[in-house]
Amino acid sequence: MNPSHSYSRKAEAGMANDTLQKGLKMIQGRFGKGAMDYWSTMQDPERRKRAKSRRMQTLEHLDIVLAELAENIRKRGGKVYFAATAEDAIRYTLEVARENKVQRVVKGKSMTTVEVGIDPALEKAGIEVVETDLGEYIVQLAEDEPSHIIAPCIHMDRKQIGELFADKLGIDYTENPPELTQAARTALREKLLTADMGLTGCNIACAETGHVSLVSNEGNIRMATTMPRVHVAFMGMERVAANLQEHQDLLQLLTRGAALQKISTYVSFTGGVADDDNPDGPEQFHLVIIDNGRSKILADPEFREVLACIRCGACLNICPVYGKIGGHAYSSAYSGPIGAVVTPLLKGVNKHADLCKGETLCGACKDICPVENDLPRMLSSLRYKLAYGDEKWQVKPKSRMERLGFRMWKTGITSRSLYSFCLKVARWYMKGKTGDNGMVSAMPFLGGKWTKDRDLPPIAAQTFSERWRKTHRNSRNGSTS
Amino acid sequence: MSTYHDQSENEIHFLSTLRQAVAPGSDTPRDKRAYPEIFAYEDDRQLVEKIEQRNDLDQQGLASAFMDSADPQSLSVYTVKSLDEAADIIVNIARNRMPEFSNFRHIIQHAHDDIRELRLWERFSEDSITVHTTYREDAELREKTIASFIGITVADWGIADSATLVQCTRPGMPQSTSLVPSIHIGFIRKSRILANLSEAYAMMRRDSSLNSWCFISGPSKTADIEAHMVHGAHGPKEMHICILEDSKE
Repeated sequence: MNPSHSYSRKAEAGMANDTLQKGLKMIQGRFGKGAMDYWSTMQDPERRKRAKSRRMQTLEHLDIVLAELAENIRKRGGKVYFAATAEDAIRYTLEVARENKVQRVVKGKSMTTVEVGIDPALEKAGIEVVETDLGEYIVQLAEDEPSHIIAPCIHMDRKQIGELFADKLGIDYTENPPELTQAARTALREKLLTADMGLTGCNIACAETGHVSLVSNEGNIRMATTMPRVHVAFMGMERVAANLQEHQDLLQLLTRGAALQKISTYVSFTGGVADDDNPDGPEQFHLVIIDNGRSKILADPEFREVLACIRCGACLNICPVYGKIGGHAYSSAYSGPIGAVVTPLLKGVNKHADLCKGETLCGACKDICPVENDLPRMLSSLRYKLAYGDEKWQVKPKSRMERLGFRMWKTGITSRSLYSFCLKVARWYMKGKTGDNGMVSAMPFLGGKWTKDRDLPPIAAQTFSERWRKTHRNSRNGSTS
Repeated sequence: MSTYHDQSENEIHFLSTLRQAVAPGSDTPRDKRAYPEIFAYEDDRQLVEKIEQRNDLDQQGLASAFMDSADPQSLSVYTVKSLDEAADIIVNIARNRMPEFSNFRHIIQHAHDDIRELRLWERFSEDSITVHTTYREDAELREKTIASFIGITVADWGIADSATLVQCTRPGMPQSTSLVPSIHIGFIRKSRILANLSEAYAMMRRDSSLNSWCFISGPSKTADIEAHMVHGAHGPKEMHICILEDSKE
């Protein structure tokens, strides 16, 4: 499907989905407003600026920081693989799976694994892949896609989930959340205890200590990293703190930004294989550090800042556009304002042109971002590239018709006589199109795009400037009417 | 030989791409010693001194704060003056709960002196409750952990501000004891309670060669279905913490 058509169609579907609208309203009302309130009253108001500054410093020395991380993980018996592309990451993971005769993989929620597309590759190799985060598991059973970074199934209600579980898990229908959770707990426990490989993302690694840290409330990620023989962690190359002090700031911003939590139920630090100090650690630990287009972002000072993102999802919880259309319209693992910047940069600006144009540039995403990323500035930059083209990012000007239109507008608006003539023609044309409600409901050509979804008020019988001219002339003559 | 045993060239190329992205023109790998600011710490010695200088009264205050923070997290916290008192609490929990995944009552406990001295096997001599210990030599440890409905652990540190246990893995103290059983009972000595996460990070920094550790703040939970909070998603449904009164001196 053309991504442009896909965006409009999926946005329309999102707006028409009452369950999604209810879920979005709840999540934005609670978490979006809550995060803004917290930032304005936090005890350590410098934390966001400090974290951003450290984050940018780490990014500017990423080659050194990642080399340190790899060295420290290897010291503890872990293996580190640097994947330049998604294909490299897939190839490596399949090889690890093959050498370890893996038949079942349990996953912890990870957007990077979705970006890379590892699930279909594992399944094609005959390996069962099971999502273990409850929301992701529901979405997987429904053969659907997640619609929010931390709340993957907000587009589904308890009735839909009850019907899904009755159908797929063979339980009696219930719409009681504790009973539904218990059904998933029982089904997934068997999977978690018998899987050969755990596949997770990485919230924030710590280079100095050689750990990856993973955050969860459910305990599924701890299970997936402890019980299987092999643990593979996918890490976007930017998801690393240089030392524990930087790590602490990022962790506390992450849990507050994501769900207003002081700290998540579980924050685990892992990075090695089983030994005396880690009696039930995995036999093998593999960290896959992934570029897949990020180094190009890193090289561009205009967009480098976006790599400071800690994927808390706070910008989704306040964005007025995301709050209406939901996550599916973004056609990417990354939705909301952060997705509107990252997805075009990773997958092609022209291909995902609608994303930056769909946002309002209201600035709310910048205000709520824990690391104060200026997403509106980057959205504007993407729009500029779409308007004028950009060699470095291989952007072709989006619409020649649009450019022609604006040139004609420029000609018309800079000539008083031509502008007045066009106004008269348009007024005459619209008069014949005005309906009983005093509005124009159908316009030809490009105007049809406007009237497809809303009415257009006709041009007034007298414009403001025409009335002004008349009033001004009368006042010159010593009269006000 | 498979590709994942021979990564050096691949790694060099990857890191070189990053170097060119942030420092165009630098042809050779950059040495971290030339950039001490990257891994530099703000001085936290004062914080550590403050922790070390706390007296029993200070620790009592932190234990009270820990209990206050536990309330909203669905955690049950008890302060116990003796191991006998702690054993009474465990016996009460074990006798009044049904195993979730089997008909047999097994308990798994860390191989740690504080727990060993509870002498739980004596307490359960009249009950059909089996107590296992996570001895490193035990080849059936995994099976025993999976069969257990209660896991008893000893934490390295407690954090008063968030009612968190810092559970480090050590010989005889595996991760799964606090994770796989339906009920987790954690022990923490009063003298090991810290004020907040900053203090915990400062202490972990001094022990950062550890293979793995976990901050645990309550039972497992999820709100994925219509934001309805349910305890017991994949980890323990219940969590109890015994603060063991001791003296810093």
